[in-house]
Amino acid sequence: MNIKTQKTSDGVLVQVEGRIDTTNYNEFETAMNEIFKEDVNQIYLDCSGLNYISSSGLRIFLTIQKKMMGLGGKFKLFAMQPAIKEIFDISGFSSIFSIYADIDAAKQA
Amino acid sequence: MEGNPKNKTLVIRNNIDELKKLVVFLETLEDEWNLPPGLVPSINLALEEALTNVIFYAYEKGTENEITVDFRLNEGLITIVITDTGKPYDPTAKEDPDINLSAEDRPIGGLGIFLIKQIMNEVSYRRVDGKNELTMMKKIITK
Repeated sequence: MNIKTQKTSDGVLVQVEGRIDTTNYNEFETAMNEIFKEDVNQIYLDCSGLNYISSSGLRIFLTIQKKMMGLGGKFKLFAMQPAIKEIFDISGFSSIFSIYADIDAAKQA
Repeated sequence: MEGNPKNKTLVIRNNIDELKKLVVFLETLEDEWNLPPGLVPSINLALEEALTNVIFYAYEKGTENEITVDFRLNEGLITIVITDTGKPYDPTAKEDPDINLSAEDRPIGGLGIFLIKQIMNEVSYRRVDGKNELTMMKKIITK
């Protein structure tokens, strides 16, 4: 898994590539926790390179969503691969996350 | 995918890093059995969820044990049997999460076994000769 984080004019952009599974979800969790050390209003998560996720990864997504809602901020996912979207669908996660086609759609929303 | 039934077995230890062996094993299986695209990631997910449970909860901490995963392909049906000698546990008895809850009300966790049941066509459990045996079946749909 590769994670890149960068500040943008209106929040933080995170790019995650590869797999988030039980062997490495803590790396993802640590990277996301770093973001919360400063005030953050919006997190954009580029999912285009994410090709596998298990329940260990999904629970981090849900934790971030709960944190952002508590802070009154937004957690926006975009460019999700169809196979990953399917897992979000069957988990009921598609209705509790904001998922956009691309970064432009995510920024406009 | 035509022809005689095929069988292959993976044996791992009760250590979470062993899941990496599963990934490699499944890549080989995909090639050798000429499985359709998209199938292996689903099977990987179901197996990760099932094996994670066994690795984390079936055995006393600090003990080393083997978990056997048998794969069989026959007439468009993949049957996977996970066998462990840990304490009795029937994952199929676990209640499904309510997937219609809002983010605020959604509990963290509890998705693993639900995902297995959603991905696989059939999931069954039995305790036999002091072993847990979880059988999962997936029909192969070729387009």
